[in-house]
Amino acid sequence: MDQNEQYKLMMAEIIAKQSVILGPDMAVARARKVNGLEVSPEGLVVGVTGDPAEALEKLIDTYVELSGQIVKNALGPIFTKYPSIKQLS
Amino acid sequence: MFPRELLPLVAILVGLYLAVVALSYWWARRIKREIETKEREIKHRLYEIAILKEISDRTGYSLNIQKILDVIAGSLRQFIEYSAASYMLLEPSKIVFKVDLDQSVSPQFIKDIRGRMLKSLEALLGRTLTDMPVEETLTGAIMLDDLNEPAQSFFNIPLVIGNQLVGVLTVAHTKSGLYKEEEMAILYKIVSQASQAVTSLEDVVRTEQDKIAAMLESMVEGVVMTDRDYRIVAINPSAKEIVGYAPTGIPTIFDLAEKFKGMFDLKEKLEESIKLDKLLTLDGATFGDKYYQILVSPVKANRGAMKGQILGGVIIFHDITHEKEAEKMRSDFTSMMVHELRSPLGNIKKIGELMKSSKVLEDKEASTEYAGMLYESSSSMLDLVNDLLDVSKLEAGKFEVDKQSANLKELLVERVKFFDTTARDASVSLKVSIGEGVPDTVLLDAKRTMQIMNNLLSNALKYTPKGGTVTVECFLHTPGTAIGDEALRFGLPWFSDETQKNTSKLEKSVVVAVTDTGEGLAPENIEKLWNKFAQFTSAARKGADHKGTGLGLVIVKGIVEAHGGTVGVGSKLGSGSTFYFTIPL
Repeated sequence: MDQNEQYKLMMAEIIAKQSVILGPDMAVARARKVNGLEVSPEGLVVGVTGDPAEALEKLIDTYVELSGQIVKNALGPIFTKYPSIKQLS
Repeated sequence: MFPRELLPLVAILVGLYLAVVALSYWWARRIKREIETKEREIKHRLYEIAILKEISDRTGYSLNIQKILDVIAGSLRQFIEYSAASYMLLEPSKIVFKVDLDQSVSPQFIKDIRGRMLKSLEALLGRTLTDMPVEETLTGAIMLDDLNEPAQSFFNIPLVIGNQLVGVLTVAHTKSGLYKEEEMAILYKIVSQASQAVTSLEDVVRTEQDKIAAMLESMVEGVVMTDRDYRIVAINPSAKEIVGYAPTGIPTIFDLAEKFKGMFDLKEKLEESIKLDKLLTLDGATFGDKYYQILVSPVKANRGAMKGQILGGVIIFHDITHEKEAEKMRSDFTSMMVHELRSPLGNIKKIGELMKSSKVLEDKEASTEYAGMLYESSSSMLDLVNDLLDVSKLEAGKFEVDKQSANLKELLVERVKFFDTTARDASVSLKVSIGEGVPDTVLLDAKRTMQIMNNLLSNALKYTPKGGTVTVECFLHTPGTAIGDEALRFGLPWFSDETQKNTSKLEKSVVVAVTDTGEGLAPENIEKLWNKFAQFTSAARKGADHKGTGLGLVIVKGIVEAHGGTVGVGSKLGSGSTFYFTIPL
């Protein structure tokens, strides 16, 4: 699987996890506001324009901005699943 | 007729008019939208300010997150439409789940949001909460079984205080697609601000608690604090050490009471103190070889809403070992003094009886002998009384010396001669050694200086065994060199100790010392030498061979200090001692 697809899958997982944490309305609405990300109303990442690593960072930042560092900490297991993608500090 | 050639112009004008109308309409709509947006923003901002003010007004400086959540949930309907506003709070042994219903919903709806909130918490914690009991409270509208509308719109706001997840706030509705991102974001912001306020307040409280804990831990006295139910809430290391509680953590009141077994019932005393609102002072507690006075007192709030209310109790361990020892020393001192006076008084009485009842007065030889005995006994009593008077003057700060120009060297030689017979009787060699540079005359109280030498020489001869040597030394001290080093430079016998290191700072003086080759002194006894009570006890331990009040050195110190000089001792156990004093020039 190419790197771009891995990023898309990972970001979709992050949105899904945030949907559990924050509720789907908020999690998807925030994800759809991220520049460079095309997210379906169901929370699937259908397209990424530009650098996917940058889009991932922005996606995480948007959730952190909302609820603080704790929502980022909850993403640890997802990063473990994608070892080729560097965890953001 | 309308001229045909004007038609294009008319068309242009009409088109222009229509364009202006359309542009105006578009412009008006745009302005209206902007106003609406601004109004919405102002409304949101006002709500934000109002709710934060309400939180501040209703909870004050509160650390109670549940109270704050109640305020937020209670004010939500001014801002957002909901079927249920609920929160879950994580407590050590349970989860508090509170739901405010704005409209009737089905039990399934409640079950649904409860499940979603638990999942949110589990996702954030990274563990399941299935084993935690959930305490559920419903307020507002009633639940109706026949309703079947699920929660179609909802969002969760995690509650974080000081980087710790404490719960989640959830807003839910039966209608779908109801909540706009910007409305939800405002609530996140409000909750975040309230959480930050609590975090900051907690930081302040924690800092203050840390300060109190540090103070408590650094206290030498043992301190134990309990709540109103006699549960120990704080115990400092000193208290644990005193009672010998080794395990880490806080003991129970029963653990502590067990340590007081055979003394008194600690729990009962604590109950009594709190019930009667009275400080109890309990003597007679002993732990190891130490005596403690135990103070048991209620702790009351002295400010705020709880002013005057009893919050718990405090137990303080006050070490009174020194007081007890001092009391014993005072008692020993008094009985020894009485004993010292009683012996010569007894002798005088016996001689008096003898002289009264027999014809002893007719026997000149016997009369002379008895007169001598009377003289010895009364002299002994007079010496003791004089010593006591001197000590009394010293303690009252009324001791004075009469300084005159006198020949110190002659005085020392004369004293050595005076003690020569005693030294010979004891088979002890008595010498005097005067160093170079000692002035012929020194400003001093000759009578008192003789008294010093009498004390030092009689002590030295008392404690020096047969075949030993006692040396009287006199030399000049110049600042910058320790006295001991100067003595050794003059080739004089000298026992040094740590305290003599500072003697290099002393002003120019004459040093007089008495060095013996006696039994020496243990370091712990040296510091007791100058104490009226401790010295007496020490002397008393010497037994019959070394009788005396032990006040001599106390008086020596007083006389030397009245001259502006200093006294000191260097000693090596089993080898001998050097007692010295200085007289400033």
